[in-house]
Amino acid sequence: MTINAHPELPDFDYVRPATLMEASQFLAQHAGEARPLCGGTDIFVRMRDGLWHDRYLVDVKKLDGTANLACDAAGLTIGAGVSMNRVIAEAAVRQNYPLLAEACCSVASHQLRTRATIVGNLCNASPAGDTIGACLVLGGRLRVHGTDGFREIPLEGFFTGPGKNTLRPGDIVTAIHFAPLPAHSAGTYIKLGRNTWSDLSIVGLTAFGYPDETAASGYRFKIAMASVAPTPLLAHKAQDFLAENPPNLQSFDQAARLASAACSPIDDVRSSARYRKLMVYQLTKKALQQTWEKLTR
Amino acid sequence: MTPNQPATSVPHPIGDSVTRVDAKEKVIGAALFSDDLQFGPGLLYARIKRSPHPHALIKRIDTSKAQALPGVKAVVTGESFPGMTGLYLQDRHIFCRDRVRYVGDPVAGVAAVSEAIAEQAVELIEVEYEPLQGVFDPEFGATSEAPVLHPDLGKYKVQNFIFPKPGTNISNHFRIRKGDVDAAWSQCAAIVEHSYRIPHIQHVPIEPHVAVAKVDENGKVTLWGTSQSPFAQRNLIAIALGISQSDVEVIAPYVGGGFGCKAGVSMEALAVAVASKTKGKPVKLRLTREEEFYTAFVRQGMVAHFKMGCDAQGRLLAMQNRFYWDGGAYTEYGVNITRASGYSSSGPYDVPNVKTDSFCVYTNHPVGGPMRGFGMPEMHTGLEQCIDELALAIEMDPVQFRRINCVQGGDTLVTGMTMHPTGLSECLDKAAKAIDWGRKVAPSAPNKRRGKGIAAMWKAPAMSPNASSSAKVALNEDGTVTVSVGGQDIGQGSFTIAAQMAAAALGVPIDWVRVATPLDTNYSPYEWQTVASRLTWSMGNAVAAAARDARQQILELVAKAWNEKIEDLDIVDGNVISYKSEETISLKNIAIYGLPLPNDQGWIGGPVLGRGNFMPTYVTGLNAETGQGPRAVVHYTTGVQAVEVEVDLDTGKVQVLRGVGAFDVGKAINPEMVKAQMEGGFVQGMSTALFESLQLKEGVLQNPSFVDYRIATTSDVPMDIQSIIVEVPQDDGPWGARGVGEHSMVPTVAAIANAIYDAIGIRVGAPPYSAEKVYLAMVDAGLVKEMEG
Repeated sequence: MTINAHPELPDFDYVRPATLMEASQFLAQHAGEARPLCGGTDIFVRMRDGLWHDRYLVDVKKLDGTANLACDAAGLTIGAGVSMNRVIAEAAVRQNYPLLAEACCSVASHQLRTRATIVGNLCNASPAGDTIGACLVLGGRLRVHGTDGFREIPLEGFFTGPGKNTLRPGDIVTAIHFAPLPAHSAGTYIKLGRNTWSDLSIVGLTAFGYPDETAASGYRFKIAMASVAPTPLLAHKAQDFLAENPPNLQSFDQAARLASAACSPIDDVRSSARYRKLMVYQLTKKALQQTWEKLTR
Repeated sequence: MTPNQPATSVPHPIGDSVTRVDAKEKVIGAALFSDDLQFGPGLLYARIKRSPHPHALIKRIDTSKAQALPGVKAVVTGESFPGMTGLYLQDRHIFCRDRVRYVGDPVAGVAAVSEAIAEQAVELIEVEYEPLQGVFDPEFGATSEAPVLHPDLGKYKVQNFIFPKPGTNISNHFRIRKGDVDAAWSQCAAIVEHSYRIPHIQHVPIEPHVAVAKVDENGKVTLWGTSQSPFAQRNLIAIALGISQSDVEVIAPYVGGGFGCKAGVSMEALAVAVASKTKGKPVKLRLTREEEFYTAFVRQGMVAHFKMGCDAQGRLLAMQNRFYWDGGAYTEYGVNITRASGYSSSGPYDVPNVKTDSFCVYTNHPVGGPMRGFGMPEMHTGLEQCIDELALAIEMDPVQFRRINCVQGGDTLVTGMTMHPTGLSECLDKAAKAIDWGRKVAPSAPNKRRGKGIAAMWKAPAMSPNASSSAKVALNEDGTVTVSVGGQDIGQGSFTIAAQMAAAALGVPIDWVRVATPLDTNYSPYEWQTVASRLTWSMGNAVAAAARDARQQILELVAKAWNEKIEDLDIVDGNVISYKSEETISLKNIAIYGLPLPNDQGWIGGPVLGRGNFMPTYVTGLNAETGQGPRAVVHYTTGVQAVEVEVDLDTGKVQVLRGVGAFDVGKAINPEMVKAQMEGGFVQGMSTALFESLQLKEGVLQNPSFVDYRIATTSDVPMDIQSIIVEVPQDDGPWGARGVGEHSMVPTVAAIANAIYDAIGIRVGAPPYSAEKVYLAMVDAGLVKEMEG
């Protein structure tokens, strides 16, 4: 069927378990036909479009701790049920993790962000996910509850392909945690869409930097790229180059070239691969320069 | 009082920005749209089986499994519906019978007790196809190598001003031969030649198409739906089913945006056809947004070749145009877009020698139909860039070049028609002044370039020559007035205009006037269609005539009662007054009950019901070989837009910083609504310039949703849009008015393209001017360096 138009949602059962363990067990028992539900902003669209056919949606929003947003000396923990608008509205986040708030602000529209969650955005594992870059460069760690109980996994390495991650049946990401950020750090997210609001990114570029005496250059930078590879990508060679070379326009330019060389975009309806590669170069330069301005302000 | 008085002595509320009559209802959410209507538990739901192939023969359809599904009430195919339909050229069946011609072409329909069951049943219908070679380019389609998509073209019924070429894919060939183009080239000091490809775009109204149809035991059809053309739908459905127009009733509630896609007949016929097999039970069909993109009317694509030349003083001497319109699978409506672009093919300029060939070509693309501008935005996009190029070629300022050449009253137009008075020069001067033409402004950042662009336009209502209107004005017990019209308000404000005109012509306060809604072809007076920016002008003439008729009846009554002359009486603010006796009487209580004779000797008068109609009687045919004739159209609305843009050298993003529009509307009946049309058209034009395109690959749409069909949102639109009203009265318009609904999106793409050129010195080519397209053009031109290594 070429015209993939379904007028309504297919039938499914809404499941709201009382405990995390109950939820994990249910998901494990119904592997392949059950899915954890956070904000639903992607799930319902995909089900309506006929792409997903889950029989059960398991709501994790009110389970232990998933509704919590905590920012203290131990760092920042954002529960799976916390909406992006709540993240943006939290003064402690804007104060201590402004990059995360900035990334959330670029997602869809205000209306959708009242439902959309960061954990949902991560588990969705879209190469275009707008908050993924920030979570990667800030060193996010996922708290995962499975049938064996809790474990913690680093976000880097979590993504294995478009829409694919390392979670196993029964796993529920209950929260993402960030350690306190290095002193005097700064970051920038630049999203290039076709128009100003609520588009998927052609390229999303996240840069983050902070002073670090262990780096030869005195600074360490992290660079994450969206929509330019099968998974969200960290530009390792560019990061390493900047740890070795003094931060200036020249080295930012070189780092941008390395970032561009590291990505493997495709031609699609949103953009050509050629334009994406060129934009990774342009936006990496810009994001590094803006981050540097913030660091030296 | 005549409706043609000069602009200085117009009665209130003509020229007043009164509040829209539908404002409150819509703002509080009380207004009913088609999908809001309730039909009770007997309502059935339809879904449609559609072709997955752009071009194929239907070998076999097996509906048995679908028919056996519990909950399914009817399954229909083209077998039951041999009749053809189409506005200007009857080239469509309701359901495909032997051949499918685009992805989405309807093959069968199902009615079931729920949408979900209907959807399941559609999946169970088996269709065997034999795929055929497709036509995906209009220029190729017009050649003899292309497969012929409509072998029966020669047998189709067609209006006498459309010229199909049977045995080819050309469903209309419109020619202009004015002067001697070939001889003129040698006298030109400069000649430019350019080709432009305009992509398909869509109307994207916020409300998708909905139709609910019921056919009763006697075969009488009732249709509720999203319609800008209830009477055209009544007529075309009656013709397709072979029944009387009087046995079809179309009821049209408020419409959530039309822009042309709800004109004529499209999916409504499917609902009626399905309902004919479920007698007595209403059947509802609503398109999903994806179906809307695949199967509702699209704006035709176009390949245009322009050649034009001028002398050293900047006088345009010759134009030669070849337009290949990508009409899509059926061109019942598109054939007239081809014609309209032909008879306006000089653009708003006085050109002595013009040769135009405008072809409507069948392709295996979605069905082309009317869209705001009806061919004019597409044509002006290339034409107005060439005008700029020509001005630059002789080193003349583009505004000055347009000033020299722009059309004036008395000019002999491209069809031989004599131009009526027009304010195009005034629009040009005012728009140029408002955009500070000639003053360079520094860009906002070192990595940006700034530019200004201007473009002029004209457009005539494109319609059947005798497209007509009628109206009724009835007075109620308390003197209030009910105006009945058959022309739909699709958001542009025509109901408010009707109320203003009735109030003005009758002499009552605006808040005494109500407009009878929803439109219902059984009770509303006839109107051709809400298209062609024609309602203010055509329906307005009918409303004014009806109100004057009612006024005359009231004055005759009072003159008789008072034993005075009608000439001494007037109606002012809802009271009949005598300038002679200084008597006065309110319309309250006399418009229905009449007036008593003295001494209880009986009564005179009775319910007042005014009627009025309007039909242009003066549009003539054009010679098939030359396109020449005394009067091709009723009139032209002209105007100019100017913009200032900034181009980001790092990304190619074009930002429109401000926009100006100046249009000659003859007389602004409601200036704020006129400005709203100017702003809305500018925004839609800007959106098509920067973002919009239906991406078709071998006939398959790649972006059938708002995820990848982007339109401008508020954040893309400049804060500064200035709208300037110019008023040179129209001799056949009510109080001098002519239409402006479409015109404001006609020159926008060209103005923005000219501004981009001014900023970066590059003609980017085919719209939309996306960041990617502009950036890669800058790289290819060497303006920005591609990253090395």
